[in-house]
Amino acid sequence: MMTFLKIDQLSAFYGKAKALHDISLSVKQGEIIAIVGANGAGKSTLLDSIMGLTKIEGDISLEGKSLIGKTTPEIVQSGVGYAPERFNLFPYMSVYNNLMVGAFTAREDITRNLEIVEKLFPRLKERTNQETHTQSGGERQMVSLGRALMSSPRLLLVDEPTIGLAPKICLEIAVVLRRLRDEFNTTIVITEQNANFAMTLAERLYVLESGSIKIEGLAKDLKNDPQLTEAYFGH
Amino acid sequence: MLEILIQGLLLSGLYALIAVGFTLIFSVGRVLNLAYGSYIMIAGYVYFYFSQLLGLPPIVGLLLAGILGSCMGLLKYNLIVKPLKGDHIPVEISTLILAVILQSAIILYFGNSAKILLPIFQGVIHIGNATVTYNVLAATLVSWLILIVLFVFIRKTHVGRAMQAVSMDSKGASISGVNINKINMFTWGISGFLGAIAGVFFASYTQLSPSMWVAPLIIAIAIVIVGGIGSIIGTLVVAHIIGFMEIISVALISPQLRGVFTMLLVIIVLIIRPKGLFGREEL
Ligand SMILES: Nc1ncnc2c1ncn2[C@@H]1O[C@H](COP(=O)(O)OP(=O)(O)OP(=O)(O)O)[C@@H](O)[C@H]1O
Ligand SMILES: [Mg+2]
Repeated sequence: MMTFLKIDQLSAFYGKAKALHDISLSVKQGEIIAIVGANGAGKSTLLDSIMGLTKIEGDISLEGKSLIGKTTPEIVQSGVGYAPERFNLFPYMSVYNNLMVGAFTAREDITRNLEIVEKLFPRLKERTNQETHTQSGGERQMVSLGRALMSSPRLLLVDEPTIGLAPKICLEIAVVLRRLRDEFNTTIVITEQNANFAMTLAERLYVLESGSIKIEGLAKDLKNDPQLTEAYFGH
Repeated sequence: MLEILIQGLLLSGLYALIAVGFTLIFSVGRVLNLAYGSYIMIAGYVYFYFSQLLGLPPIVGLLLAGILGSCMGLLKYNLIVKPLKGDHIPVEISTLILAVILQSAIILYFGNSAKILLPIFQGVIHIGNATVTYNVLAATLVSWLILIVLFVFIRKTHVGRAMQAVSMDSKGASISGVNINKINMFTWGISGFLGAIAGVFFASYTQLSPSMWVAPLIIAIAIVIVGGIGSIIGTLVVAHIIGFMEIISVALISPQLRGVFTMLLVIIVLIIRPKGLFGREEL
């Protein structure tokens, strides 16, 4: 399988402060990988960087084409969907309208994508007219994922899909992400603080610490890694 | 009574038109556009120049004023707002200075004295004992038409929804594939256009003078503060509250008090409901 997303020697900056140090990683098409790290490790910064939202050095490419110099909307257009940590939903718009904004770059696919989102999240269909500022955390996560899917992404980035959610909803979200990969061959990158959850979903893990990748490997090999066990199975 | 009702409706429609372009920029671009009054004043003069001095048809003068208003909005966005990104105080100070410079330029070219704008539409209509000029009636109808079109546009089209999205969460809009810069440009252009159209009608409602940017700017700010910044419905409702308050105070108390109650209302709302009666900052 060819490399779908390739990140090469990536550093990211907030002003003069360096938040990521020479990160290199690659993801194959149809793979699910997880970036595991504690608070402040740089998980969100990494995903923001892929979306062109931070100041970076190094290279990021999708299917061999560099994303450097592209604007965020252009990156969305080239097939990357993003469900960010704090969702960044439009609070006084309905669920339906939030999804429709997500379709801004993929207007021909609206009917098909809306069907997919409603199939994956039946709960959103029932609440299509609810404004998102009145929704629960789990529902917002669903709208956020749904909005990202409305742009017909081939690569989906999800920042901490389970943060603050009840175990039952975590499981639902995991099932949905799995289905997306299995049914639509969507490549998925998630970030997680919870290594347990990461391993149930992802095939490969990268462990991020203070902006650098410390460990990488297949989920099944890392299950018993003492380094990982000690730091990330606190939950 | 009927007289007050009719005059109130007419004035309120005009005020709503004046305020709506201002609301748009505040919600989407997060800028208190103090140059807004200048679009109104310049538009009046552009119309005066083309349709009254050169004798072009009124609709041509109106469109030219609108186009110039758009250009002024776009220029301001690209030359002042974008380079000074996020730094509100310099934007507002430079804008106010610009408004004063524009006023001087107008005085230089057209002179300082007030001018009467011939009505865009001739004739009057009698409703009961109230006399309404076609001109003012047209201003109100145009105002309503523009507000309805804008309302539907913002709610039902992709670009309109993107404007709302940018006003609520710009990062969220950006990762949805919306180009924030394009949406801002579009909004500044529309706002300038609406300000200019409002300006021509306002000038024909009152009169044309180089200092006529102050009053409409204050009205726009008042409506937006009282209505709760960003809500089109709020803008419409408060335009009517303020319009009727003015007409009633002029008719029943004294013409001198015209703007006083508006200012009192602004102060009271600022004290008891700082976010405005409709209180939120999004479209
Ligand atoms: N906008 C910003 N300005 C300055 N520094 C920032 C900014 N955003 C993040 N940082 C810093 O960059 C580092 C990485 O932050 P980041 O949010 O990427 O971590 P994270 O792994 O996502 O953490 P969490 O699990 O808490 O979400 C932190 O030290 C943080 O303080
Ligand atoms: Mg984070």
